[in-house]
Amino acid sequence: MVVDSQLMSFFTAGSLVVIGIFAALFLDNLIKKIIGLAFLADGVNLFIITMGYKPGGIVYIFLPDMVVSNFAQTASYPLPFALVLTNIVIGASTLAVILGLVIILNKRHGSLSASKILRDKGE
Amino acid sequence: MNANALIAVMVILPIASALFLNLLHKKDRTIKILAIITAIVIPIIPLLTPYGSHFFGGYVPLAQNATLAQGLPSLITGTQLFQFHPGVMYVFTSAQQLMVFVLGLITFFAIFTFLNETKRPSGVYAFLMFMGTASVSAILLSDDIFNIFVFFEIAALAQVGIIVASGIKNNYETALKYILLGNIAGPLLLLGIVILLGVTGNVNVTDMIFTFKQGYVDPNSPVILMALALIAFGWLYASGLPPFHTIKSAVYSKALPHGAALLQAFSVFTLVAIGIIILRLFSYNPFTNIAIIGISVIAMILGITMAIVQTDYKRILGYLAVGELGYIGIGLGLGTAFGITAGLFQAVNEAIITSFLFIGFGTVLYKTRTSNTRKLGGMMYVNPKVALLVLLAGLAMAGVPPLNAFQSKLMLIQAAIQSGLPELGIIMILLSIVTFMTFMKAFYTIYMRPKPKELEILDNKIPRSTVISLVALLIICIILGLFPQIATNSLQTLAAGLV
Amino acid sequence: MSFYDIILKRIRKIQEKAEEEEPITNVTASAMLTAELTLIASVLVAVVMVRLIHPVLMIIMIAAVLIIALMAMPIMPRLRREQNDDLNNMMFYVVVALGIIVALFYWGNLNV
Repeated sequence: MVVDSQLMSFFTAGSLVVIGIFAALFLDNLIKKIIGLAFLADGVNLFIITMGYKPGGIVYIFLPDMVVSNFAQTASYPLPFALVLTNIVIGASTLAVILGLVIILNKRHGSLSASKILRDKGE
Repeated sequence: MNANALIAVMVILPIASALFLNLLHKKDRTIKILAIITAIVIPIIPLLTPYGSHFFGGYVPLAQNATLAQGLPSLITGTQLFQFHPGVMYVFTSAQQLMVFVLGLITFFAIFTFLNETKRPSGVYAFLMFMGTASVSAILLSDDIFNIFVFFEIAALAQVGIIVASGIKNNYETALKYILLGNIAGPLLLLGIVILLGVTGNVNVTDMIFTFKQGYVDPNSPVILMALALIAFGWLYASGLPPFHTIKSAVYSKALPHGAALLQAFSVFTLVAIGIIILRLFSYNPFTNIAIIGISVIAMILGITMAIVQTDYKRILGYLAVGELGYIGIGLGLGTAFGITAGLFQAVNEAIITSFLFIGFGTVLYKTRTSNTRKLGGMMYVNPKVALLVLLAGLAMAGVPPLNAFQSKLMLIQAAIQSGLPELGIIMILLSIVTFMTFMKAFYTIYMRPKPKELEILDNKIPRSTVISLVALLIICIILGLFPQIATNSLQTLAAGLV
Repeated sequence: MSFYDIILKRIRKIQEKAEEEEPITNVTASAMLTAELTLIASVLVAVVMVRLIHPVLMIIMIAAVLIIALMAMPIMPRLRREQNDDLNNMMFYVVVALGIIVALFYWGNLNV
């Protein structure tokens, strides 16, 4: 049985997003919640990469001995990869800020439970 | 070449100044001077900039660049690829001019009060404020939807920083909640954007509309509807419409007054900017307008009813600010040129009035160090002038003539009636009255009832700069109230282009 | 006992259960009542817009909203408890809203 790798990649991305939302919603430990959110972001990243994939495509670098029309027809689309790089950087910095906040809150409350730390304080 | 460099400066200058301020630690005088100069320059640039567009890196469409287009194969020149925008493009028209100007003005007042109310101004805090302003200006200007996403994330981080820097009790918890929710909304917004990229091959809004109009893509395909839904969801987070109204009002209440004034301006202008993008892309779909109106009505009702039952005045203001966002949304959702103009005008007014209120009520926090209305009272005797200014701000928010929100709310009601939805007009009038009542309840408990015995009023004098800011904001409110055409003339062109 | 007193009494009862730590004053109770009336009034006016879809549907929906509002009279204390600052609660509503938005845009467009 031949499995379309692009299709399977889309399925993986979709399941990562679903797992991420599930973890963010149902897990109580803050670190687990954050891992879930990282899953969600990675699912989206994988989705973008998969979208840019072109079966039988070549790298989008124009070398001197290439024919323009041939290059234009076979090169894969570079924009999704640029977007993924940017999004990875954004995701990393956001994650750093979140983890920093969690460290401070963990020191204050001595706990990592979202239902303890982040409950309604009635104000 | 059609490259107007000053358009980029509107975004680059605050970022550059912010990065520089971040480096200056403990050099109080330098920080003050640099921050105030940047804050003065930011609102001036949009006034000096001629209308036009800026192409980053000089990447104009091939159709506008004859030299580059020479010798390219017919595969490119013979197709619509010729028209597309290869780089990031910023568009600057009269509407953007007005909104970036107002945003700059609010930044100026926020920085101005911050520098004078704080004994040792922190460069990092100024960094966060300028970074937020830069990103929201970029969101307003950009025509590239991925660029909007990047600045959306930077704005969210800057907002988190402003909350963390406030030092108010439980601010870290609120900041963490805000960023965790943002980490659900952000990736889903990106998913919506990349679905559009996958279908149309572009991230430039103009090019996407071009592909829809030319029929290269079926705009009613389920994939595009999914993208629309995801972008709308990200829009809700960025602007604080339900279900994000609770966290957004908590965010406002956990920031210092000048920070809150700026944060709500960010929300208002992000709502407008992304709302305009949604309307530009998806106005062919009648359900878009219905959804925008529906969510706005829910925001108004939930925001204002929740404001009534709060006891912390910053939370009251936070919920009122969210409720007022609904008015803007209704203007955008009506979909007529008049309605959209009214919505944009309301956005400009609301950004000004809510900053006015936050800075005004901030003086109470400055004098008493508490924001709980149960513990407050008798502030009228402490400072009657500021109390009068705050009262005027409340009147402005409720839409009392001759102040500015009267004009925009009147326009909104007229637009609703013209569109055959007088019910929206009735809801808007009803909720305006309740808004005013809520404000008066807070005003009465803080200023007019007898002072509780246990309330300590600190001896520090309210800085003159705060009063100057309040008076200046009042003058702007009166000018826009008496001469609304100053604003509406600038906004009309954009609104007409969206229909 | 007038209608006003009945509502006020029920609001106080629910509030006592909900917020034991907060004192219940006349101000909070009357604020709750105002919010309650605002909520019902604006929802009723909003439902009138259903007339654009079908007038009969509007009459049925208004009657339904009125009956529900009267049956579950102090709605506001419950609504307030739902819109609290608990992260899990917010997260739940955010995901529910995401589901509703995606479903509405998908089916709303196919049937409008």
